[in-house]
Amino acid sequence: MNSLQLKKVLTLRTVVATSAGLTLATSTFVAAVQVAGYVLGDTAWIAILTGGILCFLAAACFSELNGLLPTANGIRLYFSRAFNDQVSLTVSILYMTIVIVGVVGAESYVLTRVLGEVFPAVPPYMWVVLLLLLVTLMNIRGLKIAGVFQDVITYGLLASLMVISLLALHKVSFQLNAPFAPGGASGLINAVALGVFLFVGFEWVTPLAEEVTKVKQISKGMMIALGLLSVTYAVFTVAMTVAVPKDVLVASAAPHMVFARAILGGPGAAWMVAISLAASVTTFNAGMLSVSRFMYASAREHVLPAVFSRVSMRFFTPWVSIVALFFVSLTVAGVILLTHRYLVLLKLAAAMESIVYVLAGLAVINLRRRMPDSPRPYKIKGGLVIPVLTVVVFAPLALAVLYTDLWALIDLAAAFLVCLIYVNTAVPYLKKKYEARKPAGRRRPSRTTGESGMEEN
Amino acid sequence: MATHLEITESLKVFQDNYNSNERLKIMNRDWNRVVVIKATDIESLNTFIVQDGLVSIKEGALENPDLTVISDSETLADMFYGDITPTEPYNNGTLRIIGQEDDIIRLDFISLMIWGE
Repeated sequence: MNSLQLKKVLTLRTVVATSAGLTLATSTFVAAVQVAGYVLGDTAWIAILTGGILCFLAAACFSELNGLLPTANGIRLYFSRAFNDQVSLTVSILYMTIVIVGVVGAESYVLTRVLGEVFPAVPPYMWVVLLLLLVTLMNIRGLKIAGVFQDVITYGLLASLMVISLLALHKVSFQLNAPFAPGGASGLINAVALGVFLFVGFEWVTPLAEEVTKVKQISKGMMIALGLLSVTYAVFTVAMTVAVPKDVLVASAAPHMVFARAILGGPGAAWMVAISLAASVTTFNAGMLSVSRFMYASAREHVLPAVFSRVSMRFFTPWVSIVALFFVSLTVAGVILLTHRYLVLLKLAAAMESIVYVLAGLAVINLRRRMPDSPRPYKIKGGLVIPVLTVVVFAPLALAVLYTDLWALIDLAAAFLVCLIYVNTAVPYLKKKYEARKPAGRRRPSRTTGESGMEEN
Repeated sequence: MATHLEITESLKVFQDNYNSNERLKIMNRDWNRVVVIKATDIESLNTFIVQDGLVSIKEGALENPDLTVISDSETLADMFYGDITPTEPYNNGTLRIIGQEDDIIRLDFISLMIWGE
């Protein structure tokens, strides 16, 4: 409808940049090296491209859900309509918790290792405090990394990774050795399962559905972003593993620094520090922005304590949620710096992401039954084949990740239990408390029908 | 189902409450926005304009709005009368708001300031 055309709309270029930018993080380089560790020789590209192709299945499901229910609420609404409110709430809270713990924990650990190499005199925790403070202030002031700025960061990062990879491949006169022999099936499955982590967050672009003119742009943007990321990660990982022995990379918490230094020396390391900082700041910012908005919306629907719905009078941002996240992030980062268990977080996030993809597949199947006549600007072709495939593929991948890491399994089970108890005890209490406070009478005048004078409602 | 008149009345109540709130007027003095309100089940289009901190209402839709609020007539009337928060219908998909996320939050916050939780 032309008259309802919005004044400000996002372009496809920015949708692609946002989707890819949410995914690009410093910790993905560590995950890429872990993926390479599961397969033989320089065949990591097989696992990464397979992971990327599998994510296309999930992207197709998210595209259909987003077209059917275009909302900034994402999975909260999709799962509520497809299953029920309790399932939706439990999964949403669990997902947001794991995202903030996983992303902040792993990302801050890897970043401190990167910065620690360049500035060894500065205590690692100081970097975390400074970066989180920066992101917190940006969020409180409502400064968003968006539009052209997001485009510059994302495309700059992708181009940098490709250039440094091609330089490395050229330097070692690269030739693929046994490119199609990744080794045993179990190694490949584990590599693909962890490879999913490389794409964590691509679907977080769906909340932009309310800022584009055509919902299909979101689907197209997600697909293009996945394609770009798959190729970039595959080339970058192969370049890392041919330039530096795999065992050296796997043993390092900042393998991309080892790689950059090996290829270009000091300037290479400086370049990689810049890449890491840009990737981490955008990731922290995206995490804090999404989770604080989720907390605000949850508090407004009386699922979290009302204090989290407090908004800054000056900047119109949910400052209590943002400040609470700042302290949670500081705690998580501190614990990970002390325990060095950052790899558990990567696996936890990969498993959770796979579970969300499974649920997205199931949601498409359920909503085809529950809302058969609702308009779907994007409908997956081939009936239920792709949603079923999404479920069938990602369920074993989630299990594979959890099977190989007992701590990830224990952490996920414990977090799920806590969320379930919260949704079944605290949420009803908060809702009851709100009902008691609500004004008894309605403000809207009762309607009367003209002649009879009878009330209609 | 609410009537177009009821939706317009609810918007007037919202406008009066907004314009009598000095704090809101100061806070939104630089937030100039055009918001179109559209009902899905009846023919009803209204435009809610925030200009220099003051709100005015016009019947019909202005071109190129910053935000478009779309819902069924009952939800729209209840929401602008402050009988329900925008979050409930928004979260269950009954209410759609097309526009930038920051503007959506501000609109929700204005409703919070006028009607409370």
